[in-house]
Amino acid sequence: MADIHSFESMAAVDGKGLRYALFFTSCPLRCIYCHNPDSWQKSGNDYSAEEIFNKVKRYKPYFKNGGGVTFSGGEPLLHANFINEIYPMLKSESITYTLDTSGSVDLTNDVKDALLHADLVILDIKFHSPYDYSKYCGGDFDKFMNVGRFCTQNNIALWLRTVIVPGINDKKSDIDKYLELTKDFNYEKYELLPFHTMGFFKYEKLNIDNPLSDCPPLDQKKLLELQNYLNNSIKANK
Amino acid sequence: MSQLRKEWDGFNEGVWTDEINLSNFIKANYTAYDGDASFLQGPTERTEKEMKRVHELLIAENEKGGVLDVDTSKVLTLLTHDPGYVVDKDTDIIKGLQTDAPLKRGVSPFSGFRSSIQACQAYGYEISDKIKDEFLYRTTHNSGVFRAYTDTMKKARHAGILTGLPDAYARGRIIGDYRRIALYGMDYLIEQKKEDKDKLGNKDILDDETIRLLEDLARQIEFMVQLKSLALSYGCDISNPAKNAYEAIQWLYFGYLGAIKEQNGAANSIGRIAEFIDIYIQRDIEKGILDEIHAQELIDDLVIKLRLVRHLRTPEYNDLFAGDPVWVTIALAGVTGEGKHMVSKTSYRVLQTLYNLGSSAEPNITVLWSERLPQHFKEFCAKVSIDTDSIQYENDDVMRRMYGDDYAIACCVSAMKMGKQMQFFGARCNLAKILLMALNGGRDEIQGEQIAPKSPAFEEGILDFDEVYTAYKEYLKWLAKLYVNTMNIIHYMHDKYAYERLMMSLHDTDVERLMAFGVSGFSVAVDSLSAIKYAKVKAIKDDRGLITDFEIKGDYPKYGNDDDRVDLLGKNLIEFFYKELCKTPAYRGAKHTLSILTITSNVMYGRKTGATPDGRKAGEPFAPGANPMHGRDCEGALASLNSVAKLNYACCQDGISNTFSITPEALGKDEDNRIDNLVTMLDGYFEQDAHHLNVNVLNREKLVAAMNDPTLYPSLTIRVSGYAVNFNKLTRDKQEEVIARTFHQAM
Repeated sequence: MADIHSFESMAAVDGKGLRYALFFTSCPLRCIYCHNPDSWQKSGNDYSAEEIFNKVKRYKPYFKNGGGVTFSGGEPLLHANFINEIYPMLKSESITYTLDTSGSVDLTNDVKDALLHADLVILDIKFHSPYDYSKYCGGDFDKFMNVGRFCTQNNIALWLRTVIVPGINDKKSDIDKYLELTKDFNYEKYELLPFHTMGFFKYEKLNIDNPLSDCPPLDQKKLLELQNYLNNSIKANK
Repeated sequence: MSQLRKEWDGFNEGVWTDEINLSNFIKANYTAYDGDASFLQGPTERTEKEMKRVHELLIAENEKGGVLDVDTSKVLTLLTHDPGYVVDKDTDIIKGLQTDAPLKRGVSPFSGFRSSIQACQAYGYEISDKIKDEFLYRTTHNSGVFRAYTDTMKKARHAGILTGLPDAYARGRIIGDYRRIALYGMDYLIEQKKEDKDKLGNKDILDDETIRLLEDLARQIEFMVQLKSLALSYGCDISNPAKNAYEAIQWLYFGYLGAIKEQNGAANSIGRIAEFIDIYIQRDIEKGILDEIHAQELIDDLVIKLRLVRHLRTPEYNDLFAGDPVWVTIALAGVTGEGKHMVSKTSYRVLQTLYNLGSSAEPNITVLWSERLPQHFKEFCAKVSIDTDSIQYENDDVMRRMYGDDYAIACCVSAMKMGKQMQFFGARCNLAKILLMALNGGRDEIQGEQIAPKSPAFEEGILDFDEVYTAYKEYLKWLAKLYVNTMNIIHYMHDKYAYERLMMSLHDTDVERLMAFGVSGFSVAVDSLSAIKYAKVKAIKDDRGLITDFEIKGDYPKYGNDDDRVDLLGKNLIEFFYKELCKTPAYRGAKHTLSILTITSNVMYGRKTGATPDGRKAGEPFAPGANPMHGRDCEGALASLNSVAKLNYACCQDGISNTFSITPEALGKDEDNRIDNLVTMLDGYFEQDAHHLNVNVLNREKLVAAMNDPTLYPSLTIRVSGYAVNFNKLTRDKQEEVIARTFHQAM
C-alpha cells in the first residue's frame, strides 16, 4: 500500500507526452520554495498497487506519443518498493513510468531497481552548494549526486531540473555552477522552472510558515534568458 | 439530366450525372491531400481592404450596443432588399448580404410577431405600421403553437422543466444542401421538384401527409424561382451549373443567403462544403485559370460574408444563448465509407482563414476527426486550435456509422445527412429539476405549484436511493411523453406557418426527419443520484412542505473522475430516458434523437432550479452539456474526458457536447509539444468512441483581462460548450462562470 496525495490525469509537462501523474506523500526535504507542502504529511489515502494500476491503464489511449505514468510527490523514491510492485503490472500493458525525484534517498536495492525500470528520471538539482542545499532544503547533498551518477553509469535517460528563485539562484553565475556540478552527468535535457506563488495558499491552509511569502514569482523573461544561457553553455561545452 | 453538361468538363462521371447525388460526385472527384500546410497563402491586399471595413463595422456595432441598424420598414425575405455590399460591387468577390447594407438586420416575424416587436424595441427601434398591418391578420408559428398547447405544457414550460423550446422563435438546425445549386444549376433542381410534385399528385389517395407535401413542394418551387431573381439582382444567373470555382462558391452562397433571408432560426449551418469547393478549385488550378493566392482569396471572402450574418433577436434570446450567435457551422474533413480520408487543400484553406482574417467565433469550424486523418492535418488543426482557439472536434468514426459519409453538423453537435435528413429542433428538458419534482410529488420546488401528476411527496430525512430512483423514473416517463407531444405541436405549427421553403427545396422530397430532444442538468442529476446512493442525503422541507434543501453526510463518487460507480448511473439514466422518448410517436414519422448539450444556457437553467441533492445551491449554474460539474473533477482533464466518453452515442445521436479548457503552459513546454499533445489527446479521447470536444487553449489572465476591459481583446475567442463565442458579448455572470469552470492549469 502507498499513501497518495493526489492524481493528475492530464500532466503534459512532467516528462514526455501526456502523463498520468501520481503524487505520493512524504518527503525527506523541506525546500523553502516547495509548492506541495501538503504532501509532506501522510494523507491517509492508501492505495494498493493493483488499485493504482487499474486507474492508470484507463489512460493507455493517451500514451501514444511517449506518454505514461509519472511518479511524483512528495518523494516517489521513498516508495521504491511500491513502485517495484506495480512495475510488472505496468509492463504487462506496455506502460512506462517516469520518476520525478529530488534524489534525496539512499541508493538501496529497491531504489536502484526503481531507477533502472524507469523510462526517464527527472532529477532536481536544487542548489549547487552543500551549504545552500542544507540551508534551503535541509538535505544531504551527496544523495542526489549519487542518484545522478547511478543514472549516468546505467544509461538511464535523465533530465535535470532546477527551480530558479528570485534573489537566491537567479544569476548567470549560478547557472555556471549548476553546469559545473552536473558536468559528469549524462542527461538529455536541463530544464529551469520558475518559482511561482500558486502554492502559497497551501501554507496558509496548513498554518505553516512560508519562508518565501514575500518573494515574487520569477519573471518569465528572466527564466527564458537563463534557460537560453544554459542551453548555449551546454552547446558550447559539447 | 440525360446529357452531360459542359460545365462538368473535366469531372469524373458517376451516378451523380443522372441523379442528385453529391456524395457520389465528391467521392468520384475530390483530391485527397496528405501534405502539410506550407502551400497556404496569406491575405491579398483586397482581402485586407475588405477586412479593414469589416473591423470598422464591428466596432461601430459594438459601440451601438450590439445592433448596428435595423430595417423596420418591411418584412425581410428574399426579394425585399436591394443588393448590398461590404465595400462595393467591384471589391466584394462573393456577393450578397441579408439586407442592403452590412450588419443591418431585417425583421422576420413569421415565427413570432411579439418577439420581433420586443427585439426592435430593445435596441431602440419601432416596427413600422406597414409590418404591423400585415401581421394583424396573419397567424405566426408562435400563435399557432399557443393555440394548441395544453395547460400542462404551458405549466411545464413556465416552471422550466421544458426550456428554450422553439415556440417563439424559428427552429433552425436545418441545413440546405447548397452545393446542389452549384453542381446542377437551379433550373434542373426546379424541374426535379416539379416532377416530384406531379408524381405525388397522381397518387390514388391524397391523404393528409400527401396534401401537406404537395403544398410544401409548391412553396419550395416558389422560393427556388425567387432565389434565381435574388442572384440576378447581383448580376448572377444561377439557372445553370457553376462553371468555375468562383461560381461554385457564389452559387452555393446564394442558396445560403436566400435561406437566412427567409429564416432567422437558431443555428443555420452551411454544411459540408469545403471538399466540394475543392474539386472546383483543383480543376481551375489545373486549367491554369486560378492560383493558390486567389483560391485562398475566394475562401477568405466567403468566410467574411459568413462572419457578417446577423439576426434580430430579443435580449431574452441572447440571455439564453449568450451573445449573438448564428452558428454558421462548417464541417471539415472526415473519412469516406470506403475508409479514405477526405482532407483536401480546401480543408486547410478554411482553417487558414483564422490566420488571414483573425480568429472568430463564426463560422463555427468543426473538424470531423478520425484516426485515419493524415497526421499533417491533425497537427495543423491542433496548431490552429492553440493559436486561435476557434475549432471544435467531432468524432467522424462514430458519426459515420449512423450518418454515412456525407453528413454535416447543424448548430454544435447535431449531425444530419446533407440534403437527405432534416431536424425538428427541440431544445431541452431539465433532468435536475424533474428529480426535485419527483421528490416533491410533482410540485415545483420554487413556486410550489403542482406541475406534474400528484404522488406522495418524500418525507423529511435520509433519502433511500431505490425509492428515489423509482419515483424519478416514473416522472421521467411522464416528462418524456409530455416532451414529445409538445414538440409535435411546435413542429406541426412551424411547418404550417413558418416552413423553411428554400432550405427544404435543397433536400430530397422524401426527406428523413429527426426529432432532436435534449437534456440539461445532466451532471447535476447524476451526482445527485450518486450522492443519494453513496452518501447520506437528508431532505429538508420548508414551511410550504417542499423539499428545498439537503444535508449531505459523507463523500460520494462524482461524475468526471472516471469512476464507474457514478459514470454508469449517468449512462443508464440517458439510455432510460431515450427509450422513454421513443415510446411516443413523433410528428411526421420523425426519428427520435437526443442530445446532451447546452450552449451557455446552463446558467439560465441553473437559475430556475432549486438546491439539488448533490450539494449544488439553489440557482447555481449547471455544468454545460455533458461536462462534469465545475470543481468536482478532481483527477484532471483526462479523467473527465474518460467519464464523458462512457456515454452512449447510439442513444444520443444528436450529440454529446463536452468542453475542455487548458492554458498553453499546461499543454506542453513548447509549440511542438503542445501540438503533439493535443493531437494525442484528441486521438485518445475519440478512440473511446467519445463524440465531441471543444478545445479552449487560453490562459486565465487573458480571460480576466478581457472581462475587466472588453475592448482589450476585441477578437478574443473563447469557446463554451460546442461553440466559439466572442467573449465580449457574454454577460458578466457568464464570463465569471466560464472562468470558474475547472481550468487544468499547471506550471
